Amino acid sequence: MDLDERDVRMRAGNDYDEDEEEEPVRRKHMDDSDDEEEDEEEEEEELERDPRKAKRRRREQVVNPYIDVQALVDDDDADDDEEDEAEAGASFLGQRRHYQQQDDEEDDQDAERSVARARRLDRKRFEDMEISGEELAKRLREKYARNDQMVEELASVPQRMLMPSVNDPNLWQVKVKPGRERDIVLSLYRKTLDLELKGNPLQIISAFERTSIPGYIYVESRSKEAVISACSNLVGIFRRDPILVPIGEMAPLLQLKQKEFTLQPGAWVRLKRGKYQGDLAQVMDVTDTGEEAGIRFLPRIDLTPREFEGGDGSAKRKRAVAATVGRPPARPFNPEEVLKVYGKKTTIRRGPSWIFNGDTYTNGFLEKDVRVSALVTENVQPRLDELSAFLGDGKDGEKAAGGDGALNLASLAAEIRRPIMVALQPGDQVEVYQGEQIGTRGIVDSVLGDIVTIRGEGLELEGKMTIEVPARHVRKRFSPGDHVKVMAGVNTDETGMVLSVNGDLVTFMSDLTESEITVFSKDLRTAAEVGSSSNVVGNYELHDLVQLDMQTVGVIYRTERDSFRVLDQHGQTRLVQPHQITMRKDSRRAVSTDAEGNELRVGDNVKEVDGEVRCFACSIQPFETDMNRTDVVWCYIFIKRFTPFCIIARFPKMAESLSLDVVRSLLLHQRARRSSPQWI
Amino acid sequence: MAAVPPSGRAKNLRACLVCTIIQTSMDFRKKGCPNCEHFLEMRGNTDRVNTCTTAQFDGMTAIMNPKESWVARWKRVDISVRGIYAVRLSAKIPDVLRAELDELGITPRMDMITET
Repeated sequence: MDLDERDVRMRAGNDYDEDEEEEPVRRKHMDDSDDEEEDEEEEEEELERDPRKAKRRRREQVVNPYIDVQALVDDDDADDDEEDEAEAGASFLGQRRHYQQQDDEEDDQDAERSVARARRLDRKRFEDMEISGEELAKRLREKYARNDQMVEELASVPQRMLMPSVNDPNLWQVKVKPGRERDIVLSLYRKTLDLELKGNPLQIISAFERTSIPGYIYVESRSKEAVISACSNLVGIFRRDPILVPIGEMAPLLQLKQKEFTLQPGAWVRLKRGKYQGDLAQVMDVTDTGEEAGIRFLPRIDLTPREFEGGDGSAKRKRAVAATVGRPPARPFNPEEVLKVYGKKTTIRRGPSWIFNGDTYTNGFLEKDVRVSALVTENVQPRLDELSAFLGDGKDGEKAAGGDGALNLASLAAEIRRPIMVALQPGDQVEVYQGEQIGTRGIVDSVLGDIVTIRGEGLELEGKMTIEVPARHVRKRFSPGDHVKVMAGVNTDETGMVLSVNGDLVTFMSDLTESEITVFSKDLRTAAEVGSSSNVVGNYELHDLVQLDMQTVGVIYRTERDSFRVLDQHGQTRLVQPHQITMRKDSRRAVSTDAEGNELRVGDNVKEVDGEVRCFACSIQPFETDMNRTDVVWCYIFIKRFTPFCIIARFPKMAESLSLDVVRSLLLHQRARRSSPQWI
Repeated sequence: MAAVPPSGRAKNLRACLVCTIIQTSMDFRKKGCPNCEHFLEMRGNTDRVNTCTTAQFDGMTAIMNPKESWVARWKRVDISVRGIYAVRLSAKIPDVLRAELDELGITPRMDMITET
């Protein structure tokens, strides 16, 4: 109480007439709204301060008209303010300045004397304060008959005075089944009430849990036995002994501040349930309470409804049990398509948005308000292909671009950084892009948990050659020209040369295909090897001759993650999954003839006779041609029935059964850069 | 006496912003807050209940003996009725409420509240 007032006075200290100022200001800080009580308070304070007030009044009379009254007043204040200042930890030097402004020598001396006095008083007050906190509480409690004073009174008592003492009951930590903490606390409460009524009271005083401490509850009691007895016969409590919490650790348990995760607009989430389970969504806005959020995501509208029954149909969809099985693909909302399929009645336009089936679609996205509890907010890890729709980089969703590209990029970047630490290895080149050491580049020296030690280029901080930064402030650095390999994501095992680096995104050109691939830098590492590390997909290897169906055979000329590209004897290339292949054909023993009638086997070197290669055998062997190229080429040659130049029947059987017209061949260049099939 | 919430996971549990007592929102509506009713007046008024209580709380504490409890004293609720209280609240104190409390001279317990 004293403290508050004086603080206020200090701030309002510009007024000459202090006494007047005191009252209205004090009233603001009065804890009771009752006037009568106020007066009483004032009285008390007045009495306490009387001696000092008298002194002050006396001093004011000696004021020199040429001296700034304000300064004088402040000086007078100095005594009391002194105590405040010291109390509040303000610098003593501030006070000195006040004194120096004084022209009046007399006052100066007085000032110094009062400083000493103030310090003495200060100490005494301090001690008084210790007691008066609780004393005050008691006094007020007695004074006011009402029972619900706790809020008003105790609010003014500083927390440190409520630290546990040896006289307080102990806290016992009890191990419980995770997830059951709250139920057990409630059960203990109910049990206490029950047993009390029965005349057999439990001797526990309180019990609490903290969500940030799963698996444990804390029971307040003076004896361990009481805790054990209270916990007996309750489900979910382990039979271990309760552990006494040291007195110094008691307060921290109650002070734990949970890092509240509040959903921010722009954040990425995934839906937990329903047809869109697992789908990426972006938060547009959040209610004040943080319970609901408006999100948007790509809709999955079934454009081929088997039973279109209008109203009934939707009901049926809602009852679908396994909503994710066989669900339509996620594509931006296309009003024309939907109108076509479902008719004009269900789809209407309202401003920039469309309403279909009770849902609102804007800019191609489905916008919906959902409860935050229905969303996965942690560890969302948006993939690049998912984000492309939101960012509108032209892949599928030109229409779907939000328009606020800048915001999306930022949130994208933030989202990428947040999740799991990139696996940094010693030797990786990294760059610090957050925190104090921003801009620093170097090589990872070692990694210990979350901290990465970097040996910098030209780094010399206090004579050290290395700096330590948290892993999340660091990202891998690649320069154009680096040869890299993808470690995670859709493009795993791709290798290539870096073309450009753009923040967290790295664009490189694949060794195998000549396309440009963009991935997150966290998914890359430098690599020497070229080409897929593994050329085996399923049971088939690169360059295998496989039978696709009764009439088609083909050669695998490129392996991808879980499929391969096959060139069949018709000269068509297609993407094939392992299960679409009937079997592998062995071409090792095949014998054919070349243009001159010589035997041709797998492994033979051949030379094109004609500019247009019209010969084909399903053998895959490296050979050299004299086509002005000294590269190693792979040649896939298929059977052809009619050819003026050379007929090579590799699989005589096949030649008969198949009707082959197409004359084409493929030369696959296995140079580092180019590997797309070339038609010649 | 404060009503006991039926279960820790009941969906409509709320904590009073002033004294942190936990009850179901229905209880708040029917009986108001056992500690603060005289100045909060939540009884019968759902809107008022939503203003003065929050559903985001942490640290469910059963205080059986408020007078003796150090836990209760630490939270400065020791003169209140026995019941279930929250250790930390996560809510934004509506301006309306804050103005009221200021006028009454009640400072909301900021150390218990993590404002968003």
